[in-house]
Amino acid sequence: MQLHIFFRSILVLLAFITCGPTGRTLTADDRIDFNRDIRPLLSDNCFSCHGPDDEAREADLRLDLREGLFGTAESPGPVQPGGVDQSELIRRISSDDPDERMPPPSSIKNLESPQIDLLKRWVSQGAPWEEHWAFRKPNRPELPLVTRDDWDSPTDRLALRRMEQHGLQPSKQAEAIVLSRRLYLDLVGLIPTPEQADEWKARLEPASGEWNESAYKELVESLVSSPLYGERWARRWLDLARYADTNGYEKDRDRSMWPYRDWVVNALNNDVTFDQFTIEQIAGDLLPNATLDQRVATGFHRNTMLNEEGGIDPLEFRFYAMTDRVATTGTVWLGLTIGCAQCHTHKYDPITHREYYQLMALMNNADEPDLALPAAGAEEKYQQNLKRAAQLVRELPSHWPLKSKPSGKDSVDNETAKTKKVALAEIAFGNWLDEQHEQQPRWILARPRQATSNLPHLEILDDASILTSGDSAKQDKFHIVLHPTSINGGQIRAIRLETLPHESLPAGGPGFTYYEGTKGDFFLGELQIWQDGHQVEVVDATETYSKNRFGSNPVNAQLALDGDPQTGWSVHGRQGERHVALFNLAQPLADDKPFEVRMTFGRHFSSSFGRFRFSIADRNAVASPLTLDVLRLLEKEKADLDEAERAVLREAFLLGAAPLTKFASTILDLRRPIQHVSTLVLQERPRENPRPTFRHNRGEFLQPREEVSPDVPAVLPSLPAGVNADRLQLARWLVSRQNPLTARVVVNRHWAALFGRGIVATVEDFGLQGSPPTHPELLDWLAVEFMEDGWSLKRLHKRLVTSTVYRQSSHVDEKGGDLDPTNLWLSRASRNRLEAEIIRDATLVAAGVLSEKMFGPSVRPLQPAGVTEAAWGKPKWIPSAGEDRYRRSIYTFSKRTAPFAMFNTFGAPSGELCMARRARSNSPLQGLTLLNDVMFVDLCRAAGASIALIDGTDHEKVGRLFRRVLTRHPESAEIADMLRFVRDIRMRIAAETLSSSDIVGAGTVVKRTEQERSEQAVWTLLARVLFNLDEAITRN
Amino acid sequence: MHNQTRRHFLSDCGIGLGKLAAAGLLTDALDGVARGAPVRDDPWQPRNPHFAPTAKRVIHLFMAGAPSQLEIFDHKPLLTKLEGEPLPQSVIGDQRYAFIQPNAAIIGPRFAFSRHGQCGMHLSEVVPNLSKIADEICLIRSVTTDQFNHAPAQIFFNSGFAQPGRPSMGSWVVYGLGAESRQLPAFIVMSTGGGLSGGAALWSSGFLQTTYTGVPFRSKGDSILNVSSPAGIDQSIQDKTLELIHSMNRRRLDIVGDPEISTRIASYEMAAKLQLSAPELMDLSGETKETLDQYGVDPAKPSFARSCLLARRMIERDVRFVNIYHQGWDAHSNVEGNVKNNCQITDQASAALVEDLKQRGLLDDTLVIWGGEFGRTPMVETNPALGRKLGRDHHPQAFSMWMAGGGMRSGMTFGSTDEFGFHITENPVHVHDIQATILHALGLDHERLTFHLAGRDYRLTDVHGKAVHELLK
Repeated sequence: MQLHIFFRSILVLLAFITCGPTGRTLTADDRIDFNRDIRPLLSDNCFSCHGPDDEAREADLRLDLREGLFGTAESPGPVQPGGVDQSELIRRISSDDPDERMPPPSSIKNLESPQIDLLKRWVSQGAPWEEHWAFRKPNRPELPLVTRDDWDSPTDRLALRRMEQHGLQPSKQAEAIVLSRRLYLDLVGLIPTPEQADEWKARLEPASGEWNESAYKELVESLVSSPLYGERWARRWLDLARYADTNGYEKDRDRSMWPYRDWVVNALNNDVTFDQFTIEQIAGDLLPNATLDQRVATGFHRNTMLNEEGGIDPLEFRFYAMTDRVATTGTVWLGLTIGCAQCHTHKYDPITHREYYQLMALMNNADEPDLALPAAGAEEKYQQNLKRAAQLVRELPSHWPLKSKPSGKDSVDNETAKTKKVALAEIAFGNWLDEQHEQQPRWILARPRQATSNLPHLEILDDASILTSGDSAKQDKFHIVLHPTSINGGQIRAIRLETLPHESLPAGGPGFTYYEGTKGDFFLGELQIWQDGHQVEVVDATETYSKNRFGSNPVNAQLALDGDPQTGWSVHGRQGERHVALFNLAQPLADDKPFEVRMTFGRHFSSSFGRFRFSIADRNAVASPLTLDVLRLLEKEKADLDEAERAVLREAFLLGAAPLTKFASTILDLRRPIQHVSTLVLQERPRENPRPTFRHNRGEFLQPREEVSPDVPAVLPSLPAGVNADRLQLARWLVSRQNPLTARVVVNRHWAALFGRGIVATVEDFGLQGSPPTHPELLDWLAVEFMEDGWSLKRLHKRLVTSTVYRQSSHVDEKGGDLDPTNLWLSRASRNRLEAEIIRDATLVAAGVLSEKMFGPSVRPLQPAGVTEAAWGKPKWIPSAGEDRYRRSIYTFSKRTAPFAMFNTFGAPSGELCMARRARSNSPLQGLTLLNDVMFVDLCRAAGASIALIDGTDHEKVGRLFRRVLTRHPESAEIADMLRFVRDIRMRIAAETLSSSDIVGAGTVVKRTEQERSEQAVWTLLARVLFNLDEAITRN
Repeated sequence: MHNQTRRHFLSDCGIGLGKLAAAGLLTDALDGVARGAPVRDDPWQPRNPHFAPTAKRVIHLFMAGAPSQLEIFDHKPLLTKLEGEPLPQSVIGDQRYAFIQPNAAIIGPRFAFSRHGQCGMHLSEVVPNLSKIADEICLIRSVTTDQFNHAPAQIFFNSGFAQPGRPSMGSWVVYGLGAESRQLPAFIVMSTGGGLSGGAALWSSGFLQTTYTGVPFRSKGDSILNVSSPAGIDQSIQDKTLELIHSMNRRRLDIVGDPEISTRIASYEMAAKLQLSAPELMDLSGETKETLDQYGVDPAKPSFARSCLLARRMIERDVRFVNIYHQGWDAHSNVEGNVKNNCQITDQASAALVEDLKQRGLLDDTLVIWGGEFGRTPMVETNPALGRKLGRDHHPQAFSMWMAGGGMRSGMTFGSTDEFGFHITENPVHVHDIQATILHALGLDHERLTFHLAGRDYRLTDVHGKAVHELLK
């Protein structure tokens, strides 16, 4: 064996520091557990050079595989079961020779002697080997027998066994009032009011010492059934979904994404089973007869950021969004750090570089449109608008101006005046008809033979227009071949270019701009006509409308002819409409040969046409907004027009007539499609335009290598045979019963939410570098139960919170604190600092101002002035009015580059990355926020005002306020402290050394006698104390 | 193993966090539980560096928008000669540009260069004050980055990764070294000029606990968000409030026994200190007229100069890492006017900061860094539709920055570019190398300053970078 060769000159690519998985010390007679004790040591110390990554692998040795460790009969490996002295691995890790020692002394890795002993004992015990636990399908474990009657649920039995194995005893059940507060916080993310808490206490403990178990279940049921439940759990899901209300990066503009957030709230409230919840979010658009809701759900993977900075390569940032989607899918469902394989094969887990891109290929075949969500009645309203418009069109002639001021008689006789106006309009119409008939050439629709581009997909529609879809680059080049069949024997002297709206386009088109510029705009930089390999001179160009989005310099069709692609034509400000440009040729084109239109689009952002078509004529002309149908009618002799045709023409005339502009614009507005609320979704690409996926060398966008086919990693069960490997298959695979990971990952995450730490502490990593489960059997039992029970999250929550282990007191006793300081073995309940949003929401309840309004666009509560000022463009934060200020935090507007100050300070994520676990922290800035932030000051005043209004003694008021914040009853010492504080404040106010008007501010509504204002100030200041207590922001 | 149990902590603590055992970097990462709960009991505990540092503190003057190196630092007379001609295709290669076409014409430098100091450093006339301290600075003309758009490049420079979500340099440094003072935040951010492309990601703590986030010092209102008590609440009420909070928390600690409560109590003590120390820091009445004039500070007006003076005051008070962002260098049009204007704002104060630190004996262990996210093209940017002329586009291949103090060599010019200022010809210094060098000066090995998350040990320099020892004394 060539061990001597490889153990030399190790190239250390990454710095890793090692650790034993749970930090516990094994005693000599403990049985070694390979998954728990040995694999983590090998993974930390050996795999980066002797693991899955073949590019970094030294000496062709793989210690992550069984064959690599033990070898074969012919070629024995570095580990000889039972033979400590025969095992090269043991010899090398214990060697004193720096050339021999492993890991090499030059590396940062280091095996300490207890760890070396552990490896020796493993070898001497016969070196048992197991597959990594997380890749094995979970099975229901056998349930241990336990001696305590009240610990008989499977969850409790499995938890208690471990606890007792570690010499611990369970804590007693927490008090009823503590439990109800805990359940409120955990299940609905709010605190109960004192009245609610008292009511439940009365039901839970009908008499002293009695416990009513069914009341406990009712309490749980009532919370789980409350609409508040969905709001609470949606927040956790949105951490994973990296939800925000802005696009991220430099400009960080607003996006409309809240319909997705509302979808999540609703889905959780309706207990949409987790498998369905998954399938709709990953691939809702691919479900048969997908509903609007199912398409909204695909917003999950549209929460990626969008860079709108001028000059970026949009395809590069799309690639980054894809890498984010792969990594997020890995974290959320598989608990695997798949993102590590973006640049190279995973260093620890069996996921190859190629498999990473195969997984990407499964998700990569979607376009990313905005989905319009018509409000109820929107269509009816639009039909009414059209009717009204038709009515106004009929009335248009009666608005024709009279040539002279109406005489007195006319003004009295409206009817006469009207008749006159109508007659004048009809005369003008007649003149217009003659003039147009004379001027307008005969237009022939030019059906494209071929439409190609550098990248966007160009589809020729039945009406001869060309529709753009798919990806577009910063500079797009379109190449259209036209070969009109006949132009009446004449020659082509003018080309008319219509840009047309279409519902599939950003903002309805006619352009394809979707970032940085105005959505639905375009920028035609250059247009050239070619025939027979020669460029044909265009003498002039006109257009019906033009406007520049950036700067005040002109844009127009003529500038698309000047040879400079940086100047050209765009139509900023009038999206969703048809615009026309007309190009006159110096020399006629031969009509018996095809000709080409070559166009270049884009400026510092991608900006192509979205839908457009050409027609041709044998005479020069100027751009006219008239539709082709109208133009065709104008060819007819006046006498040949029937009344219906005249009506069409009359309408066209009246809508474009200068004297009627004001009236016409009302009509055009009525006809404009109604702007619907929209949300970002995925939409599978049409079969004729699939997007290829490549392996990218070193994970670099600019280094695509071979194309890869969609598939899942080989270490996991394969996709079903004989089906199209697409997003829908991926989604179904994620939640298939064969998948060993998803159910474990999900139940573990929910366990962590309720118990403060996951059974697998690294909730985001179930791979070889993750923490092994503290309670593997419990995790498997919960996972199997979750799947067999139909993937119901509500039932999972009920199962967990009705367990005895959940109901324990959180008090730390001497023994438990010593034996198990971090409470790994669950002999007490965890005390967790509340999440940022829950702190705010609980304070809203305590202050008595929480709004129960659900859903809709995000709102802006108060926050200190200037928080957003460091962000690009120094945007202002204008607080919402009325109850929107006091809505639950899930509805707070989330701006990525300037997160809501209080949430940020308390560790809420800003939606840039998938966040499976928030780091809980403590800082003085949190204290300053609770003490001084305008939002909390406002809530102190609200709480103060309502307490001041109560009839009662100070003693009662102190108790009332205390309970509104902390739920439990105050102890007498606490009451005494608070009363002393209240007295001190009163004295200061009486002595006029304190300004009660400053303290209560101008905003809160309360009757303002001097006395009342002083009282409000007193209680405002006490509320400020209580909101800052550790207990107020902690789940006990 | 981490044998400092919480129980031990509890029995031993009055409140003092300082009594927590100092867990070195290694033992902290060795704590198995850390995998599951990546939060430290005392995030500011001073920690030993990996080796002897040459710098204890950093002031990073970040020139957002990307200053034109060709107007200030990198003297290219050939560009004047070839003005109006295109660059050879062989030079440009397949570089992508934000705005211009690769065949855009060359534009010569807008300012005259001459040699300065005993070292004879080439600098242009637009930075007369910097020229006077040429012998104090280390000029690097061969910095290169991977990113050519502002937001990603700024985030890349400050966090080692082009997309938001990773910890910033200041966060890593405080994570690695802790804080020397509890009176002020260890990592402070100031910004002048316009809003920043990179936004809060530039001082984010990423996946580190949020206590390591840079604390913005604001130019208007409270210097630190919420540092002032609300209207009507005077010091004595504030004291009474904090007393009552303390005694009620203390009582719960005795009953519940959770050491988290004492951490919270300690954090309120720090909050109270901050309420006093922040206004004291901002009060410039103790500064002499000479000092104010040296920086060019009007004490009443927020400015880059005032931020520089405040940075010195922070350093005196043992703040670990100070960021000053000056936005405004994005010269797509009129590069001459842009550079002139921004140098008027920054040149005097930047030079004064170095001199002032030196006079006070602080420069030896304070590292001052001056530079932007990338450079600017030798080619002109002209765009009629955008109304731009005589500008320069983004140029990631080569740009210049300077550092001073903290163990950097002085009077040194490092690295060079070709005669177009397009490519580096000697001693390329990648952004990851700059980061590794900064950490090195602070006594931190960039490969060992790691945070374990999701199966990986993350670091500031991603998987790249090397400290540039030639830059260090």
